[in-house]
Amino acid sequence: MTPDRTPIPAGDVSTIRGRIQAPVLTWLTRVVIVVGVLGAVLPGAVGTGVATTAVGAVMAAPLLRVTWLVFRWSQEHDRRFVTVGLGLLSVIALGAVLSALGVGS
Amino acid sequence: MDLVGPAILAFGAAVVGSLGGLGGAILLVPLLVVTGMSPTEAAPLGLVMVAASSIAAGPRQLTERSVNHRLGVTVELLASSGAVVGAIVSGYLSETFLTYLLASVAALAALAGAGRKGLRNLPDPACVDADVGERVGAIAGAYRLGDDQIVPYRPRRLASGLAFMSVAGFVAGSAGASGGFIKTPAMTELMQVPTRVAAATTTFTVGVTASAALVIYAIQGRVDVETASLIVSSSLVGGVVGAGVQSRLAPAVTRRLLSALLLVIAALLVARA
Repeated sequence: MTPDRTPIPAGDVSTIRGRIQAPVLTWLTRVVIVVGVLGAVLPGAVGTGVATTAVGAVMAAPLLRVTWLVFRWSQEHDRRFVTVGLGLLSVIALGAVLSALGVGS
Repeated sequence: MDLVGPAILAFGAAVVGSLGGLGGAILLVPLLVVTGMSPTEAAPLGLVMVAASSIAAGPRQLTERSVNHRLGVTVELLASSGAVVGAIVSGYLSETFLTYLLASVAALAALAGAGRKGLRNLPDPACVDADVGERVGAIAGAYRLGDDQIVPYRPRRLASGLAFMSVAGFVAGSAGASGGFIKTPAMTELMQVPTRVAAATTTFTVGVTASAALVIYAIQGRVDVETASLIVSSSLVGGVVGAGVQSRLAPAVTRRLLSALLLVIAALLVARA
């Protein structure tokens, strides 16, 4: 492997610095640790509901992160990556629809 | 299997997995199968762990500005497509096939972990702090190396990289193991993305891949929420403990130990199948 030097890339540096994402994810991690344990130890329907909340939050967070990025890229007028991001969310939505229709089950 | 067993396994897998930088699911899913759970039950639990670990690692990597979101979402388009296909067809695959697939995945991860390489891109003294980050309209960028060095980079061979990402997605969707052990080497060796950026971007993308597959498993009613919620907590706490221990151990030694452990697990899976 030969190290090389890449020229400084052209174009504006994105203004997305994680100033909102990072604290939100930090708090989500803390909350989900507690809610996850509660969901496993609480009995009955309450426990199932709390557990579903913990798992649902973990499942939804990455998708909400992509949605947030699409919104921020639209503010940066980056149409190319807004399209790519919407394409990604569409693929996931298509998978959900196919699954709901009984494909694969 | 009761709740305590998977929780302990998830904690241990998260600690050991974070030491080697491969993530815990690659250990958790084979361990759950070796201890008696079916591969179809273990896969969603592995994906829950992947998504949780991705969330937990996010804040530090965002603060470092080492994640390239535009590159991540681009490669994720193919990876999530693979994950959706993998999750849908996993219902048609036999348990023996899934066990062999897991064994192959564990063995490949062992090889990928042992063969990781060092610095590829060089720092540019002309770069300043304002250059750090990704570029609008492109997948290129620059990252900070140490306290005062900044390294520009430009990913190459995008088409080949995307092909590997679809394979990684299929493995994640069908077997429940994070495809990170395919994604990170594909980015570093094929697309020539710096290791730190590739690792941070992969951590972001494996969470999206896991979510894409989990949505399907949830609709199919294949997620045991009580066990999964405890695995979420165990893996998050284990990841924090592992990150604390990691700073005191030599990375090369831990990677070799983890590779050896994965090979043992692969052998146990083959024997069980």
